[in-house]
Amino acid sequence: MKKSYILPVLLILFFASCEKVVEIEVPSTAPKLIIDAVFEVYFDETPVRANTVVKLSKSVDYFDETIPPVTNATVFLTNLTDNSIINFSDVNADGNYEPTISFIPAENVVYELTIIHENYTYKGTATRIKSTPLTSVTQGDETLFAGTETEVKVEFTDDGTQENFYLFDFSKKLFLTIEDRFFNGSDYNFSYFYDEEDITLPTTVNIKMSGISKEFYTYYRVLIDQSGQNAGGPFETIPSSLLGNMINITDESKFPLGYFHISETDTATLNLVEKN
Amino acid sequence: MLHFKKILFVLFITSTIVFGQEKITLSGTVYDNANNETLIGVSVFIPELNAGTSTNEYGFYSITIPKGTYKIQVSYVGYTTIVETINLLEKLTKDFKLKEAAESLDEIIIEADIEKLNVRTPQMSVNKLTSATIKQIPVVLGEADIIKSLILLPGVTSAGEGASGFNVRGGAADQNLILLDEAIVFNSSHLFGFFSVFNPDVIKDVKLYKGGIPARFGGRLSSVLDIYQKEGNSKDFNLTGGIGLVSSRLLAEGPIEKEKSSFLIGGRASYAHLFLPLFDNDNKAYFYDVNTKVNYRFNDRNNLFLSTYFGKDIFGVSDNFVNKYGNNVVNLRWNHLFSDKIFSNLSLIYSDYFYGLILDFVGFEWDSGITNFNLKYDFKHYINENIKLSYGINTIYIKFNPGEIIPNRTSSGIVAEKLTDKYANEFAAYIDAEHKINEKLTLQYGARFSNFLRLGQDELNVYANNQPVVYNEQFKKYESAVATGVENFKRSDVISSFNNFEPRFSLSYVLNDNESIKASYNRMAQYLHLLSNTASPTPLDVWAPSGRYIRPQLLDQFAIGYFKTLNNGAYSLETEAFYKDIQNRIDYINGANLIANNEIETVILNGHARAYGLEVLFRKNEGDFKGWLAYTLSRSEQQTPGRNANEPGINQGNWYSSPFDKTHDISLNGSYELNKKWKFNANFLFQTGQPTNYPVGQYEVQGLNVPIFDDNRRNADRLPAYHRLDISATLTPTTNNNRKWQAEWVFGLYNLYGRMNAASINFRQNRETFRNEAIQTSIFGLVPSVTYNFKF
Repeated sequence: MKKSYILPVLLILFFASCEKVVEIEVPSTAPKLIIDAVFEVYFDETPVRANTVVKLSKSVDYFDETIPPVTNATVFLTNLTDNSIINFSDVNADGNYEPTISFIPAENVVYELTIIHENYTYKGTATRIKSTPLTSVTQGDETLFAGTETEVKVEFTDDGTQENFYLFDFSKKLFLTIEDRFFNGSDYNFSYFYDEEDITLPTTVNIKMSGISKEFYTYYRVLIDQSGQNAGGPFETIPSSLLGNMINITDESKFPLGYFHISETDTATLNLVEKN
Repeated sequence: MLHFKKILFVLFITSTIVFGQEKITLSGTVYDNANNETLIGVSVFIPELNAGTSTNEYGFYSITIPKGTYKIQVSYVGYTTIVETINLLEKLTKDFKLKEAAESLDEIIIEADIEKLNVRTPQMSVNKLTSATIKQIPVVLGEADIIKSLILLPGVTSAGEGASGFNVRGGAADQNLILLDEAIVFNSSHLFGFFSVFNPDVIKDVKLYKGGIPARFGGRLSSVLDIYQKEGNSKDFNLTGGIGLVSSRLLAEGPIEKEKSSFLIGGRASYAHLFLPLFDNDNKAYFYDVNTKVNYRFNDRNNLFLSTYFGKDIFGVSDNFVNKYGNNVVNLRWNHLFSDKIFSNLSLIYSDYFYGLILDFVGFEWDSGITNFNLKYDFKHYINENIKLSYGINTIYIKFNPGEIIPNRTSSGIVAEKLTDKYANEFAAYIDAEHKINEKLTLQYGARFSNFLRLGQDELNVYANNQPVVYNEQFKKYESAVATGVENFKRSDVISSFNNFEPRFSLSYVLNDNESIKASYNRMAQYLHLLSNTASPTPLDVWAPSGRYIRPQLLDQFAIGYFKTLNNGAYSLETEAFYKDIQNRIDYINGANLIANNEIETVILNGHARAYGLEVLFRKNEGDFKGWLAYTLSRSEQQTPGRNANEPGINQGNWYSSPFDKTHDISLNGSYELNKKWKFNANFLFQTGQPTNYPVGQYEVQGLNVPIFDDNRRNADRLPAYHRLDISATLTPTTNNNRKWQAEWVFGLYNLYGRMNAASINFRQNRETFRNEAIQTSIFGLVPSVTYNFKF
């Protein structure tokens, strides 16, 4: 159970009508390298396919309007089992680095991601995290608080032999993290609700379920919180820095942000329709 | 420590051997003539001897003086003073019945330090409010509210509207001991903090101790909010009530056996669908509380009281989300006079706080709570007119249910899980003396010994190096350690035991009839911690006991003050300076998840806290225009250093503002009685904005725009200043005269100039423009209200 289930409710009801945009002068800090390397292996597809983009950018002041991509970095991946190297290149010069050969992360292999940029070398490791396929994803009839939400029912079977953590991507930048602590080994089903503002019916959404590591789960939980989709108010958690798993091995104090992670992911496409 | 005991002993001896004359004890109880309620804090004064006492929480007084004939002066603010000549030849039991000075329902009674005796009493840092004052103070939606009224006093703040709890002298909300008829109340708020759980009609007396806390109180660091409820009218049957915009109140009281036994039943309920007219499905949000009391006066020496409190909040949105929480208290008390000098009260108290949640859409229910059994035996021993002793023992058995998950439908796939219950016993013994050394100097000194036993539980995690939190040098962050095993205990086992000696000391030195200086020191130990990582506590925060991994919080507080009455008591000035130091104040590692965490020790870092400040309270106590101006200048900080040189702690180990640090806090309250019919009241509040965190940058991962927060500048930013003005007008219809039905209307305007005070400022990306925005959340703009109060 997460606070984020409960608190938004209180906040929506009490505070929603009293929000306004204000001008705030925010402090500034030196730009940091942002490493967004969340690989997805679509294990349930034939043939198995993977998304292995490493996205590099720089942090900027909070109210800056553009986030500059980093296009001049050296990026490669080392398979630590056989020390083979997979090079990445930014073909479109947009900060998205892709493998130069076709590449599917293998099971039980530790991969080390290396990024060299502006005389600093950044490194981090990840291993493919097992997941389970979605049993079903359907649209439901229920609503939640306002009576205008759209329900999506998700069902899957958890692997009872291990501790599992999952990340759901409901598209529209809507994410949910869950752990199997309370449903270990079960056929678990839950409902997710889209707010009226999130979607315009009818529409098609692509829903992704990924197996993630415990550390990435903790990271992502805070990431969702801090990205501000929870409304805040006096019950808001005191915000703090969010460090990932990449290290600047040249100068530890100039740490990057972002994460290197490899998950197994299942996807489902769902047509959402208007219901009374 | 030994030294201190020696002083105590010497003082005690010197005071008892000075007198040779034959002494006689005068004792009794002081009642309100109208309803036979006992009155608390009534001054019983003998001008010839310049000696006096005041009634205790049960209306009892006792004074031992030389044989003789005296004029006894019995006075209480708002009541007509009784002066009676008594020929005191042998010990005498004498009850007094005071008549209210004005018979009208809405008489403002601001109990200020206007009696000479109060300048003399060493008790400092205490504020009192009566039910009548509380009902006058304009509040949001016209709901008279103890806690919202307390915030107008110096040294007391809250996180704002819609925030639970209150902060005293830079202390956290969980550091307030809230006692309702001596029972501990764990949650003082309804509706997540909009209203407090105390029904103003039932309240007899409210005292807030901010410092110099007497030895009879313990278990919380910052303050004691000591609330006594009415016992019930033992003369006539009476109905009191009110109809407001948010809730209605009704109180019935009357005799069971005239002047011997009475009952009281009070209820308050909010209207359903509160706040929710905007949504058209079956939402509900309401609260209620019920107070019942029965007492029986067996004879002059024995009195029995049974009281209960039940309060509950229910908040539901369709069937998908239902949230219930509340307090229950059952309390049996027995007053017994061992002699005319020894008053005792034995209390047997059960109290609990529960929190429940149904989250149908994810398929489970959640229950958590805290239950305690409290046995207290307190004595007041009136040795002579110069020495009054209080002593007693207290033992509290506490059971903590940190949470339980129950599948709410068979198809949900949720596996039931119970977080490990925890058990503890808190014992204390204390002795406290109020000792008048001479005409100028009065001391109050004592000590409390407290012992806390963390009792056996089913499974206690064991960690490598006994460290539940590890510092990951590689990633430069604190992480939860993985337990290396569990230890099992029997319920009777003691996992951890803590002992604390808590000395308390206050003195007052009277400069002249109108001026005094007071100083105090108190040490307090707190064994329970409210796990809360938000700006203001939430109802779902759980309490955790001290034990192997969490140490008790310890406080040392020093305060000095200067008190002056001007113009024969028409004005009074109280100034105090305080310094507080707190050991073992916990904070949390980054990304800590406190909810349903069975290994809470793995997210806790230990640190300390300090607060210091200056309080000024200037009051006008008499006349058509009365009121006060309170100003507090203070600082409240926290420090969480690393455990060794390699760890940064929080904020690089530097001091940071606590979430409730408010540099300036000004409140102004004024009431004006235009005539018998109309009365006006106004409040103005100004507080420095509370600490917050602004992002130092932004970045994008996974399509999410994320603000960057800098750990080296924790709580370094501030919300805009909070200020508002409220006014109210009370209309007492002239038709009240000569009839039993007494009524009044209270019209209020809260936040008159409609300032949208910031409850928080959050940063997020606009979902349509994809631009970053700072969003200020405000809770109440201008809120008009009307309340109808009646008494029959």
